[in-house]
Amino acid sequence: MQNDMTRDDLDKIEAGIRQKYFEVANTPDGKFQYPTGRKGLEILNYDKTLIDKLPNAVVSSYCGVGNPFSLGKINAGAKVLDVGCGAGVDTILAGMMVGPNGSAVGVDMVPEMIARAESNLKITGIVNVSFQNTAAENLSFPDDTFDVVISNGVINLIPDKEAVLAEIHRVLKPGGHLMVADQIAVSNVQKDIKARLANWFQ
Amino acid sequence: MDFLAMLKKAGFSDTQMVAETGFNSSPKTKGTLFRAFKAARAVEKNGKAGGDFLSKFQEFFDETYAQGALDRKTKHLIALGASLAAGCEA
Repeated sequence: MQNDMTRDDLDKIEAGIRQKYFEVANTPDGKFQYPTGRKGLEILNYDKTLIDKLPNAVVSSYCGVGNPFSLGKINAGAKVLDVGCGAGVDTILAGMMVGPNGSAVGVDMVPEMIARAESNLKITGIVNVSFQNTAAENLSFPDDTFDVVISNGVINLIPDKEAVLAEIHRVLKPGGHLMVADQIAVSNVQKDIKARLANWFQ
Repeated sequence: MDFLAMLKKAGFSDTQMVAETGFNSSPKTKGTLFRAFKAARAVEKNGKAGGDFLSKFQEFFDETYAQGALDRKTKHLIALGASLAAGCEA
């Protein structure tokens, strides 16, 4: 899948993603082709009663491409993993859904996004959510850990998708549910680094 | 390889592309919702042979009931009808 990519290509992609999300960690405003923040959450039909409980600073940091929670119910008491959690809005919402007997963990490779997620979490006062600065291709969790894995607009950015999906499969419990919102290519993605940095999925 | 094929290769079952979200990052990509399950296969832990056999069976099962000209629900209903007509009450 990535055999036409050199080490140099992969490094450039990773550096480009790190630079973009270093900026997004501050604010997603104007950095995406689609609505972000409260507007994005409303259009994607997120649960309004949960969104209304979140401080504005948390809501404004949302930049997802879809609503993974529309794909299935998350039960009270469940353990949820958010792969590529960014500013952690989905992770925090998952924590609210699972309640005090459940937990939600967000992982992201960009340290600035994890810092934003942690500051978002702090102002919500929610205690069953945590974040880790980890690459999705190499998760630190034991096999069969999570009931649900969510991911929003991230896997398309990762060159080694097979490694990510294998890791997600490993950490899901048997019978566990993967719910993903992501970008997929409509036509052949241009074979140049600039286009891939903007978005590539192949 | 598309995303559904990658999910199957990673071992997921019941893989499904559910809907487009309308949130597109570029003119060449579209926001899309996917879901998949890790098969619940308790027997697999009893031994490799059993696991291999079951995963082959699961592949056959997934392929049989995959969305095609007929949707998944219709295929399941046809199978149910055929089972009942054959006198299978299990």
